[in-house]
Amino acid sequence: MDKDNFEALAMDYLAGVMTEEEKRGFQTLLDSDEHLANQFGELLVTYQKMEHLQESEPSSNMDDTFYTMLYTAMEKEHAKKQKRFNLGSLTTFFSPKLALGALLVVFGVALGYWLNWDRNQQAVEIVGDSNETEMIRQKLVLTLLEQPSANQRLQGVSEANKIESADEIVIQALLQTLNNDSNVNVRLAAIESLSHYVDKPAVRQGLVQSIPNQESPILQITLANLMVALQEKSSIEPFKQLLKEKQLDTTVQKKIRNSIESII
Amino acid sequence: MQDLNDNALMLKVKNGDLDKLGLLYERHKKRLFGFFYNMGNTPSVSEDLVQNVFVRMLKYKSSYTGEGLFAAWMFRMARNVNYDHHKMSSKKRTVDGMVPEDMLATVQDEDSQMESNEDTLQLNKALSRLPTDKREVLVMSKLRELRFKEIGEVLGCTEGAAKVRVHRALKDLREIYLQMETV
Repeated sequence: MDKDNFEALAMDYLAGVMTEEEKRGFQTLLDSDEHLANQFGELLVTYQKMEHLQESEPSSNMDDTFYTMLYTAMEKEHAKKQKRFNLGSLTTFFSPKLALGALLVVFGVALGYWLNWDRNQQAVEIVGDSNETEMIRQKLVLTLLEQPSANQRLQGVSEANKIESADEIVIQALLQTLNNDSNVNVRLAAIESLSHYVDKPAVRQGLVQSIPNQESPILQITLANLMVALQEKSSIEPFKQLLKEKQLDTTVQKKIRNSIESII
Repeated sequence: MQDLNDNALMLKVKNGDLDKLGLLYERHKKRLFGFFYNMGNTPSVSEDLVQNVFVRMLKYKSSYTGEGLFAAWMFRMARNVNYDHHKMSSKKRTVDGMVPEDMLATVQDEDSQMESNEDTLQLNKALSRLPTDKREVLVMSKLRELRFKEIGEVLGCTEGAAKVRVHRALKDLREIYLQMETV
């Protein structure tokens, strides 16, 4: 063991990256030099004390801010791609020389073939990490649904529609949106999104339970149509309760009565 | 699984697959937050600085080559973010990050005084008195568990030189700690 190399060796020992043989060699070096042994002993104490330094955890705000930033960046990127595509189409359309027409057709076919091929390639890649992408998308949905802007909450519901199989947390968030969101359009979009998961008993139950909470005629009619389509008998009782309300719109009353008859 | 390592994910981000940045964020958010926190920033400032690192990753994604370790690239960015933050607030702060009293105040806010360990507080204070470059290598090595090879990449030096730098920073920390005990 080399005394000149003591600093690096000491760090290897402290970081626990030495082999048994290297450790023995380092121990021999310390045994042969009292000064180095003392120096190392002091370092060891400080190094171990560092383990007890204060730690802190980030709050959930950090996630919210990050996913909002990421979503905005993704939207911008998407808009940029869209713009590029549109400009390309225009140039092709207004091409002044007919002679180039044939060439453009060939180019178009080649481009189409290439794009298709590229999409197939991407499909293969997506299979590999689809789970992680789904996880990120679910986080994005949860964050967007909590935003103060109705537009962003609508985007959240639209992102939820892209999830192949939403987990319970996302479904609960959508149900909560359906029951509590202040905007009718967002609530309507939530019904649309939840209708993809009606094979889950929890979703059907959640939809039925939300019937008495809805005050907007359009939502009441949408739910009535959905319940008829599902032939959900447990929805009859909440609908009957709704009929007892004096302020209920007459068209809605008629629709609900028809729906109850259809379900029975 | 090769497609899911940090380098491959960042290359996908570079090619426009931006949602992969979410995966990198989930993997490294705590590590980065801890880095900024141990560098003497308050928890809320640390959260902002983590955010800044990911904003920069998007901004400079085209410069990412995929060579070297992703963690090294990320921590290089984190160091710059930290420098820039302290440069901006340098009128109020000392040159080397937060003034020790602020660091101590942060610690005291976090936990009740009754439960605080005197030794740990002293060490926190000593760490805050180390020059930024030395504090960085100690935080990266001991608290954020970066390997010496990675630290070398962050600092732009060899693995051996990184070990020596960490050793000297640890030695200085001990000296400051002992000086504070005798005062």
